[in-house]
Amino acid sequence: MGIPSIGAAGANVVNYAIGYNFQYTNGMPIRYVGVPFPVAGQPKEVHHRYVFESNDVVSGKPMMEAVVDALTKPLTEDEQITGQPPDAVVEPRLLPPDTEDNLQQLFKDKDWTDYNPIILPTEERVAAMLAGTSHPPDKEVKLLSWPGGSRSLTVEKVAVNAVMAGAKPKHFPLILAVATAVPFGNSTSSMANMILVNGPVRNEVGMNYGGNVMGPHSEVNAVLGRVFTLMSKSAGNLHAGKTTFSTLGSNLQYNNLCIAENEEALPEGWKPVHVQNGFKPTDSVVSVGTGWSYISSVGEVQIAYPAQFLMRDYMRSLAGMGASVIMDPTVAGLLRDTQGFKTKEELSEWLAKNVKKTVASYWGNGVVSTMNASMAIQGLEPYASQRKLPPNTLINTFQPRSVQVIVTGGGIQTTWFVTDFRAGRGTLVDDWR
Amino acid sequence: MKRTYLFTSFLLLTATLVLSAGCGTGGKLTVLNPAITSEMVDREPLSPRLDTLEGKTVYMVDINWGGPDAAYSVFEEMTAWFDQNIPSVKTVIKRKAGMYSMDDPALWKEIAANGNAAIIGISG
Repeated sequence: MGIPSIGAAGANVVNYAIGYNFQYTNGMPIRYVGVPFPVAGQPKEVHHRYVFESNDVVSGKPMMEAVVDALTKPLTEDEQITGQPPDAVVEPRLLPPDTEDNLQQLFKDKDWTDYNPIILPTEERVAAMLAGTSHPPDKEVKLLSWPGGSRSLTVEKVAVNAVMAGAKPKHFPLILAVATAVPFGNSTSSMANMILVNGPVRNEVGMNYGGNVMGPHSEVNAVLGRVFTLMSKSAGNLHAGKTTFSTLGSNLQYNNLCIAENEEALPEGWKPVHVQNGFKPTDSVVSVGTGWSYISSVGEVQIAYPAQFLMRDYMRSLAGMGASVIMDPTVAGLLRDTQGFKTKEELSEWLAKNVKKTVASYWGNGVVSTMNASMAIQGLEPYASQRKLPPNTLINTFQPRSVQVIVTGGGIQTTWFVTDFRAGRGTLVDDWR
Repeated sequence: MKRTYLFTSFLLLTATLVLSAGCGTGGKLTVLNPAITSEMVDREPLSPRLDTLEGKTVYMVDINWGGPDAAYSVFEEMTAWFDQNIPSVKTVIKRKAGMYSMDDPALWKEIAANGNAAIIGISG
């Protein structure tokens, strides 16, 4: 803008914001003022106290003295630097030779692992992994732009992480497709990711979509979920205390809810997710999405209260922006044969129509408020009208297309989960063979 | 016979030690680095600061983080502080278009044209 500006951030963020990775990402070392945390959800009198009685957490000065100083104190020498930042780090292709024990420790010290042992990525192992694709090692899979500058995630870097996670060359095209979605969700609100695989590749590599699909009982599901996290941390430069800031984190980040759909057990008329998204049944597709919540039906379906009603009840607990219902094939069969849902789309439409939240509950969610309140204030519908309604008014917050239905599992119990994870349209695995 | 047995044993032991040195925990491995060199954008200097805020217009931009009652309310309190302590400062509170991560070129243009300084926030 060409005029003196300062950033104001909560104390929970400002400690990261003034570090190297954030401060120089856009090239300009922003002057920050640190406001006590939390800001959202606090009454007016607390905000009054923050401004009139609190200290800036960066400088330690009284808040408004710090604001005035930040806008009027002359620039320091560091704030006038042009050109490349002096702290830019060059990462060599090969690490200095060392013992296996020392290298295992180095990878932990660098926060490149999930703190379980890794397979060390020797040149021989990486070369063997690269044989799993026709793409050259230097081909860019994705340009990662944040945090800490831009980084080119190449086929070779993906192969390094694939070796670390324990993958085999036959898994590599699938891993490359997953790499297009790196890094994992990174939010103070502690989100996670879901990886969904559809199409023939499930059987080619031996993914589990039967019993225990979400448990630690399949090499491919385990490795594929793990490598997404390893890539997010090493190539994605996401490190706790430096560039990630989830207050609780998510245990799901160990495996990223890595599942395949049980397409073979879909009831008649129910299409696989990738076909719903416009791909051919013979396409192999991986879809990645973000979310937070994961609620189990716990027990078996009851005739007195069919599954869709309990799904509706549980979905009221979700934020109300998007959802995936992940169900055993037996649940899908019951929904089709006893409740009349001839397609997944019919179930999505029924849930979108019947899941209602109060206005207060919907706007009471911080992520919803952060994402959608600005659109309401600008008059965009349906948000503008929804915000004007009395707090106890029940409203529909899901759209049919925002409720995804996934069928997986072994037919062992009529169990299901409702989640607020929602995978994207998907990436063709076949493009990475 | 006994001499042959000892000689064979010596050879086996030597071979075991040599192999151990090359392949076991005593040997060194060369591995690939999973991290990637960051291409940093060139540094830009900050805009020069004002000598004083007296008589100046300060924009406060709510980036919509945490909903409509978070930063906006804090900026109202900052406005009250300026009214009491530096009353010649004119303050303008604006909500940025879209959610926090979206650009708002029209607002930046307005501030550049009409403002002398800006406070942007509040993430948290």
